Amino acid sequence: MTSLVAPRHDVGSNVVVKFIHVNKYFADLHVLQDVNLEVHKNEVVVLIGPSGSGKSTLLRSINHLETINSGYIYVYGRMIGYYEKHGKLHEESEKNIARQRAEIGMVFQRFNLFPHLTALENIIEAPVNVRKTPRDQAVADGERLLERVGLSDKRDQYPRQLSGGQQQRVAIARALAMKPGLMLFDEPTSALDPEMIGEVLDVMKELAGEMTMLVVSHEMGFARAVADRILFMDEGKIIEDTTPEELFINPKEERTKAFLSKILH
Amino acid sequence: MYYFDWPLFWKYLWPATALADPLIRNGLLVTIVVSVVAQAMGVILGLFAALGKMSRLPPLRWISDAYIWYFRGTPLLVQMALLFFGLGVTHIYDFPDIHFGILSISGAIQAGTMALGINEGAYMAEIVRAGIEAIDVGQMEAAKSLGMSYAMAMRRIVLPQALKVIIPPLGNEFNNMMKTTSIMQVISAGELFYAYTQINARVFKPFELFIAASLYYLALTTIWSYIQSRIESGLGERKSTIKTVGMFERLFAKGGH
Repeated sequence: MTSLVAPRHDVGSNVVVKFIHVNKYFADLHVLQDVNLEVHKNEVVVLIGPSGSGKSTLLRSINHLETINSGYIYVYGRMIGYYEKHGKLHEESEKNIARQRAEIGMVFQRFNLFPHLTALENIIEAPVNVRKTPRDQAVADGERLLERVGLSDKRDQYPRQLSGGQQQRVAIARALAMKPGLMLFDEPTSALDPEMIGEVLDVMKELAGEMTMLVVSHEMGFARAVADRILFMDEGKIIEDTTPEELFINPKEERTKAFLSKILH
Repeated sequence: MYYFDWPLFWKYLWPATALADPLIRNGLLVTIVVSVVAQAMGVILGLFAALGKMSRLPPLRWISDAYIWYFRGTPLLVQMALLFFGLGVTHIYDFPDIHFGILSISGAIQAGTMALGINEGAYMAEIVRAGIEAIDVGQMEAAKSLGMSYAMAMRRIVLPQALKVIIPPLGNEFNNMMKTTSIMQVISAGELFYAYTQINARVFKPFELFIAASLYYLALTTIWSYIQSRIESGLGERKSTIKTVGMFERLFAKGGH
């Protein structure tokens, strides 16, 4: 980390996620190159770009599943993963990182449901053990969430008994159970069979407007319908940051045009 | 021409007459109890050594590596003699007999159990580590993303899944443990083989007596193989990815220990 004094993030504004000059390397590979970004409250931001462009890394650095090499990431005005002391940044204690992550929901490409727990148990696991919510209340909340994602009848099923689309809906409910104001979706539909993509996107559309969402996805229909902004990333940089309409009708960069022509047949 | 003493052989093989001898009765009990206790010690030590080996903190990794390196790289018999005679002569710990009411545990049994358990921990460490590493990293990431600490994620998410991977090799280790307790004979711990050597010292019939002794170990490992295949088929029902091995396949399989 740099030894610069971290710029104070203006608390009280509606900025939920803020990146300031963020850099990350995997050995020699510069996966995030001087990324600056602001995401506002209840905005839906979709990240697109070729594979290896750094979009998943960007998303995962927001809840410190990836460390960064320089720069600052703030969520709700609090620096993520690091704290500042005597003008230097140090990695936060495990306990504080866990506390920060509890406020940020995450949905993974491969669902990552806990296979030894039922759908409901997956959902109440963190509220009961991390938040210390009374079990009865967690169960009631969990059942409401299952209903919300349309899976009340799958309450006591194990993940392996569910289809991919159903598993991902349970995974969304599991993340929502911690009542996050910010949700991160890392290619939530890429591992799904085509006929199951719609049911997951429908759940995500429902959430739009209620919370801040960052979504790595190539589902252009979804982006067009609910995204407030689309970020196009390439080689670790945000190349374009614009509205879906602008991006599809009038992309500015050649690389964006080339990429869009590949994914929009 | 050797005269095989059939009456003596049967006396020390047939459970009704063999177990009437307190030496053998206690010996069998000691073998079973020591196996269970030493294996339990091995599992606990192995768990900590495995977690230490995977730790972010270098000193923990060094301690675990050194432990595994030493106890897998030196003979158990030497470790046991070192523990029992070595600690005794230095008076670090004299291994006095421990009494629980009518039950008394000799120093040799304590030292033998400890040596078996500590040695086993070094082998279990690799088994536990392999079990943990068999679990997809996405499980730990998902747990962390929900705000769990590493310890909570390990305890509640990763280890319960790893257990299903660990149980089959753990069963094999226990099978081996029951046989290996026999080396406690050299420190005169009163286990099963020691009982037979004591009787042999009286009557000098090593051929008859040690065949009988070997058949008792065979009975123990056979019964355990049956229990193990039952446990594993129970696991298999709940999780189809574990290949279950039948008892006969297990008993007559090539290789292994």
